[in-house]
Amino acid sequence: MELSDANLQTLTEYLKKTLDPDPSIRRPAEKFLESVEGSQNYPLLLLTLLEKSQDNVIKVCASVTFKNYIKRNWRIIEDEPNKICETDRIAIKGNIIHLMLSSPEQIQKQLSDAISIIGREDFPQKWPDLLTEMVNRFQSGDFHVINGVLRTAHSLFKRYRHEFKSNELWTEIKLVLDAFAQPLTNLFKATIELCSTHANDASALKVLFSSLIQIAKLFYSLNFQDLPEFFEDHMETWMTNFHSLLTLDNKLLQTDDEEEAGLLELLKSQICDNAALYAQKYDEEFQPYLPRFVTAIWNLLVTTGQEVKYDLLVSNAIQFLASVCERPHYKHLFEDQNTLTSICEKVIVPNMEFRAADEEAFEDNSEEYIRRDLEGSDIDTRRRAACDLVRGLCKFFEGPVTGIFSGYVNSMLQEYAKNPSVNWKHKDAAIYLVTSLASKAQTQKHGITQANEFVNLTEFFVNHIQPDLKSANVNEFPVLKADGIKYIMIFRNQVPKEQLLVSIPLLINHLQAESIVVHTYAAHALERLFTMRGTNNATLITAAEMAPFVEVLLTNLFKALTFPGSSENEYIMKAVMRSFSLLQEAIIPYIPSLIAQLTQKLLAVSKNPSKPHFNHYMFESICLSIRITCKANPAAVGSFEEALFMVFTEILQNDVQEFIPYVFQVMSLLLEMHKNDIPSSYMALFPHLLQPVLWERTGNIPPLVRLLQAYLEKGASTIASAAADKIPGLLGVFQKLIASKANDHQGFYLLNSIIEHMPPESVDQYRKQIFILLFQRLQNSKTTKFIKSFLVFINLYCVKYGALALQEIFDSIQPKMFGMVLEKIIIPEIQKVSGQVEKKICAVGITKILTECPPMMDTEYTKLWTPLLQALIGLFELPEDDTIPDEEHFIDIEDTPGYQTAFSQLAFAGKKEHDPVGQMVNNPKIHLAQSLHKLSTACPGRVPSMLSTSLNAEALQYLQGYLQAASVTLL
Amino acid sequence: PLKQITIDIDAMRRQRMEVNVELRKAKKDEQILKRRNISFSSMGECLSPEQEKKNAVSTLSLEEIVQAVNGNNPELHLKATQTARRMLSRQRNPPLNQIIEAGIIPKLVEFLSHNDNVTLQFEAAWALTNIASGTSDQTRAVVEAGAVPAFVALLSSPHMHISEQSVWALGNIAGDGPMYRDSLIHNNVIPPLLALVSTSSLVFQVGFLRNITWTLSNLCRNKNPYPPLEAVRQILPVLIRLLKHEDKDILSDTCWAVSYLTDGSNDRIHVVVETGILPRLVELMASPELSVVTPALRAIGNVVTGTDEQTQMAIDAGVLTVLPQLLQHPKPTIQKEAAWTLSNIAAGPCHQIQQLITCGLLLPLVELLDKGEFKAQKEAVWAVANFTTGGTVQQVVELVQYGVLKPLLNLLSARDGKTILVILDTISNLFLAAEKLEETEKLCFLVEELGGLEKIEALQTHDNTMVYRAALGLIERYFASEVCGLESSITCDTGNLALSCAPL
Repeated sequence: MELSDANLQTLTEYLKKTLDPDPSIRRPAEKFLESVEGSQNYPLLLLTLLEKSQDNVIKVCASVTFKNYIKRNWRIIEDEPNKICETDRIAIKGNIIHLMLSSPEQIQKQLSDAISIIGREDFPQKWPDLLTEMVNRFQSGDFHVINGVLRTAHSLFKRYRHEFKSNELWTEIKLVLDAFAQPLTNLFKATIELCSTHANDASALKVLFSSLIQIAKLFYSLNFQDLPEFFEDHMETWMTNFHSLLTLDNKLLQTDDEEEAGLLELLKSQICDNAALYAQKYDEEFQPYLPRFVTAIWNLLVTTGQEVKYDLLVSNAIQFLASVCERPHYKHLFEDQNTLTSICEKVIVPNMEFRAADEEAFEDNSEEYIRRDLEGSDIDTRRRAACDLVRGLCKFFEGPVTGIFSGYVNSMLQEYAKNPSVNWKHKDAAIYLVTSLASKAQTQKHGITQANEFVNLTEFFVNHIQPDLKSANVNEFPVLKADGIKYIMIFRNQVPKEQLLVSIPLLINHLQAESIVVHTYAAHALERLFTMRGTNNATLITAAEMAPFVEVLLTNLFKALTFPGSSENEYIMKAVMRSFSLLQEAIIPYIPSLIAQLTQKLLAVSKNPSKPHFNHYMFESICLSIRITCKANPAAVGSFEEALFMVFTEILQNDVQEFIPYVFQVMSLLLEMHKNDIPSSYMALFPHLLQPVLWERTGNIPPLVRLLQAYLEKGASTIASAAADKIPGLLGVFQKLIASKANDHQGFYLLNSIIEHMPPESVDQYRKQIFILLFQRLQNSKTTKFIKSFLVFINLYCVKYGALALQEIFDSIQPKMFGMVLEKIIIPEIQKVSGQVEKKICAVGITKILTECPPMMDTEYTKLWTPLLQALIGLFELPEDDTIPDEEHFIDIEDTPGYQTAFSQLAFAGKKEHDPVGQMVNNPKIHLAQSLHKLSTACPGRVPSMLSTSLNAEALQYLQGYLQAASVTLL
Repeated sequence: PLKQITIDIDAMRRQRMEVNVELRKAKKDEQILKRRNISFSSMGECLSPEQEKKNAVSTLSLEEIVQAVNGNNPELHLKATQTARRMLSRQRNPPLNQIIEAGIIPKLVEFLSHNDNVTLQFEAAWALTNIASGTSDQTRAVVEAGAVPAFVALLSSPHMHISEQSVWALGNIAGDGPMYRDSLIHNNVIPPLLALVSTSSLVFQVGFLRNITWTLSNLCRNKNPYPPLEAVRQILPVLIRLLKHEDKDILSDTCWAVSYLTDGSNDRIHVVVETGILPRLVELMASPELSVVTPALRAIGNVVTGTDEQTQMAIDAGVLTVLPQLLQHPKPTIQKEAAWTLSNIAAGPCHQIQQLITCGLLLPLVELLDKGEFKAQKEAVWAVANFTTGGTVQQVVELVQYGVLKPLLNLLSARDGKTILVILDTISNLFLAAEKLEETEKLCFLVEELGGLEKIEALQTHDNTMVYRAALGLIERYFASEVCGLESSITCDTGNLALSCAPL
C-alpha cells in the first residue's frame, strides 16, 4: 500500500463503514481492514488519517484502529513471522510521541496506550530515544503536552510495581532513573510553584493537579523496587513537598460530587501510598520524615468528611497509620493517652459508622453488601481500614485502647436504649467496635486460654445480641438483626455451646425475615454452626439436639428460597445441604416433599443456570437425599429414579451443559445403589453415552467415565450378552482418552473396569489391539502420569488373567517384549506408583510375575527375577518417588488428575474406593512371602540361590522380616 | 499427586549478589575502596616544625609547579612536589584532574626512585597516593606512568614513612578493580607486604599495620575474576595472624578481606575454611564493634552459602549461638545479614535445621519476621521458606508452634512481589506438612483465622502472574472446599492436633 491520497480515501471509506450499525455493512469492512493490515504502510496511513483527516469521527476511529492494530501485531513472537515491517516500525516510533502530544485528548489516550504497548516490547533497547524525547517535552511549559508525557511514562513504568527483581529490569530502571529522575524532580518543583502562582485560577489548577497526581504515581513506580540513590539524595525535596501537599486545601479544587473522588483526594491518596511505601520498605532512611507524615495524615483524617468520594483517601490514610503504629520504634508517636483517645474518637469511631451509602446497599444491593461484609471483599472500605487500625494499636496499647472503646461502646448503647428507632445506628457501631476489638483476641486465643479480658463476649452476647434476635418482629431493625447474626457467626468458637443452642431456633426464625441480608445471614450462620466440630471430631451440634427443630428448619429454609431475590440464594442452598448432612435419617419422613421441591427447583433453574454455587449445593442436596434414604431402604432408589429421570432427560435433551456432569454423577450414584443388576432404563441410555459429541467436552469426561464404570460394575454380563456390538464403541472411548495427555488416566480407569468386570471371552478379540495402542502412546509421549497408570493396568491384568497371560500377550506383540517391559518400565518406574490401592495391585501383580510365571525361572528373563523382587521390596519400603522430569514440569495443571476445572465433583456423590484385589490379598507382604514359599517348594534350592547372589543386603533383611511374619521358610 | 502449581522455589543457598545492578546508594557500612591522605596523619609528624613553616609559605601556581618538576633544580623539585601534594590533600575539591592534565605524573613517579632524597620520595608518594584515590581514570593515570613497580620497590624502603605511604598508594590502586589488583600481584606486591607485617606487628605503630591490612583486603577484593588462588593462599596465614590483633580497625579490615575471599564458589570458600579460621570469625561476630561485626558476619554468611560440609564447619564454630543476638541487633542491616545467614543454614539438610532449632533460633526468627525492618523481614521470609522446604514434618510443626504463621501471613501485604511469592510457596509447604499429619483442615482454619485467607484471596488479583497463580493454586487446592462446601463429612480425619499457635 502506498502512502497515496487514493489509499487514504479508500481507508477512510472503510473506516466509516466499520461504524455502521448494520452488520452487513460493518462486518465486510472489518474483514477488509483485517485483510490489508499486513501490508506495508498500513499503520502509517492510519497515523496520517488520525492526524490530518477533516472528519473528527474518522480521526478517532483511526486512532482506535491503530491502537488495536499495535496491540495485535507489534509483539514479535518467536517462530512466527514479523507482522509489521521494519521501516514501518521505525516510522511509527519516530512519529508517535509527537503525534500523541499534539492530538486532542480523545486521540491522545489511544496513542498513549499504543506507545505503552510498543514500549513494553521495544523500550529501552529498541527505542533508545524515547526517554530523551519525553523528557525534552517537560520544558515545553505546555501542561497538555506534559500530562501526555506523564501518562505515557506511567503506563511504561507501572510494571516496576509488580515485576520481580532481575538484572534486566533493574538495568532498565537505572536507565530510566538516570534520564528521568532529575527532570521529574524539577518538574515536580516547578509544578508546585505554578500551583501557588495560579492559586486563584481553577482551570489552571486542575491541569496542574493532574500533573501532580501523575508525578506522584511515577514516584511510586520508580521507588518500588528499591530506594534509588537519586531519590535518597532528594528525599528532602520530595517529602517536604508531599507533606505540604497533604496539608493543602483549596476551595477551587473541591468538588460537589459526593461519589467521585476529586483531584485533591486522588493526589493525597497517592501521597499516602507513597509515604506508606517508604515507611514499609525504607524505614531506616525515611525515619526522620515519618513523624511529620503521621501528624499530617491524622489531621487529614480528622478533617475529612463522610462522603463516599473520600473513601479511598481515608482508607489509604488509615492503612498508613495502621502500618506505622505497630512498629516498635514508632510506639512513642501514639503512646500518649490524649493521642490515643483522639485517634479512637476522631479517626476510628467516625469511620465505623453505618453510613447512608451502606444503608442503601443493605436494602437495594444486598448481594454486594453481603459480599463485602461477609466474604471480606471489603479490603478498601473505611470500616475495614478502621478495624485494621484498631488491631494495629492493640499490639502495644491493648489495655488503653480497649478502655477508651469500652466507654464508647457503653455510651453508644445508652444512646440506642434511649430511643432505639432513631438511634439504632449507634448500636450498630457499638457491635462493630466490639467485633473489631475482640477479633484480635480471637486470633490470640489459639493455644492460649486467655481471650481478651476487656471484652466479655458471652456477656455482650446475652445482654445485647440475643434480645434483638428474640424480639417477636423479625423484620424490625434489619441491620441490627444482621449484626446480631453475624456476631454469632464470628464468635461461634468463643460463645459457649449452650448459648449457641439457644440461638438456633432464633436463627431458624430469622430465615423468615423479609430482608435478604437477614435471612441470608441466618442461613449462613446455621450452616456454619452445623459444620463446627466438637469432641471426637463429631459435629458440635448433634442431630439429636436438632430433633425438635427439624420440621421448622426444613420448612423455613425452603420458604426462604421463595423470597424475591433469594430464589437462587447459594447460602440458603448450602444450609439445606448442610442440614441434610447433619440431620441424616431424621429427614427421611420429609423426603417426598423435599425431593419434590428440589426437582422443581432443578427444573426451574435448568432453564437458565446462572448461579454455579447454588446449583452445586442443590445437586449435593439431591445426592444426600438419595444416600440417606437408600442407606435405610435400598429399594427406595426406584422412587428417586422416578422423580428425577424426567428432569434429567430434559436436561440431557436440551443439552444444558452446566448440569450434564452433575446428572451423570447422580445417575452413577443411583446405579451403584442397585444390587448386581442393571435396570433396562439404564441400558436404553447406554448407546447414547458412547456418542463422541458428549466426550468432546472436557467437563463431561470424568463423570461419564465414572458412569460407564458403574455400568460395567453392575452390568458387565448384560453388556456382553445384550450389547456386545457396543464393545467396540466402549473401546473407542478408551482409545480417544488414552491419546490425550490430559485424559489418559480416565482412559485407564475405563480400561481397568473393562478388564476387571467384563467376561474375558467378550474382550478376547480386542486384547492385543489394546496393548498395541498403549505401546503406541508410550512411544509417542511418555509422561510420568501415563507410566503410573500403565503400571497399574498391566499389574491388574496380571492379577486378573495371570502372569503367564501377561507374558504371552507382550511376547506375541514382539519377541522378548516382556523382558523389555520388565527392564525398562516396571523395575525402574514402579517406585512412582502412588495410592494405596494402586500400590497393592502392583504388589500382587509383581508377586504373580515372580512366582507364577515359568519363563521367569528358566529363560533369559531369569536374570530379571532378582531385580524385580528388589523393586517390589522397594515399593513396599521406600518412600514414593514423586520426582517429575523437568520437561514435564510445566504441563498445565489441568492435565493432572484430581484437578477439576470444568468438572465440578460432587462430594456427596462420592465413589467408594474400589479395591479389586481386596478379597484376594489382605497383606501383600505376607502374600509375597507365601507365594515365594510356594515357589520354593516347587523348585527347591533355586529361590535361595537367586536371593543370595544378587539381592542387596537391606532388601534381604526386609524379605526375611516378611517370611518371619508369614511363618514360612524358603527351601 | 497433584503437581505444585507455583514454580518450586527449592531451598537454595542464595549467594549475595543475585542482581549485579544496584539502584541503591553504596552503603556506608561497606568498606571503602580508595582513600585519600587528607590531613596530617602519622607521617606528617615526621616533618620537622621548621620544614613545615617553610612549606607553609611556599605557594606555587600550577604552571610554576610544572616548570619546577621539569627543571633540574632538586630543591625546586621538592618544593613543587610538596605544593602539589598540599593541593591534592585539600579537604575540598582537590585538583586531581588539573594535576593529571598538567602532565607531571611521570615526573612524580620518577621522583619515587630518588633514594637519595627521602623527603622528595615521600612527597611524591603522597601526591600519587591521592591521585590514585580518585576515579578509575585518575588511578589509571598513575598506573600508566609506571608507578606500580616503583611503589612495590619502595615497600622495602628503610624509611618507615615511605614504605607506609607506598602501602597506601598500592591499596588505592588495588581497590580500583580486579585488573589492577592482579597487575599488582604480578608485580610481586605480596611478599614485601607480608614481610612488612611479620616485622611490623611489634615494631611499628598500629597506624601502619592498619594501612597494610587495608591494602591486603583490597588485594583480596573484587570478583570477575577473583584474585588468583595462589595469592589467596599466600595472604591467608597473615590474615589469620591479623585476626588475633586487638585493634578494631585492623580486625575490621581483616574480616572484610576474609569476607571477600569467601564471597564466591565453594572451592573459594574451601580455601578459607580449611585454615581453621572460622571459630575466630564467629567470636568476632559477637564483637561490640559494629565495624567488626559487619564484615565478620558477612564472611560467615558467605561461608554458609557453600556446601553442607562447609556450613557444618560454621555451625561447629558456633555460628548458631551468636546469631540469636544478631537477629535482635539494634542495626537493621545486621538483622538483615543475620537473617540472610540463617536462611542459608535453613537451606541445609534437616540435621542442620535441627541444630538451628536446638540453638533457639526460632524465637528470634519469628520475632524478626514480626517486628523487623522490611529488608530484614524479607530475609526472614526466605529463612522460613527454606526451613519449610527442607525440614521434617516435626520440625515444621515446631516452627508453626513458635507462631510463625501470623507474621508470615501479615507480610502477604508487603509491597514486594517476590516476597509474597516466597510466602505463598511457604504456605504451600506448610500444607504439605499438614497433609501428612492429616491436619489440613486445622491449618486452613488457622490461616483463615489469622486473616491469611482473605489476603490470599486478594492476591488473586495481583498484577504479577506468578503471584496470582500461586494464590489461586492455594485457594483451589485447600480452600475451594470451604467455598464449595466439599469439606466432607465423608472423610474422617483423626489424630491429635499438632499444629497450633504458640502464645504470642
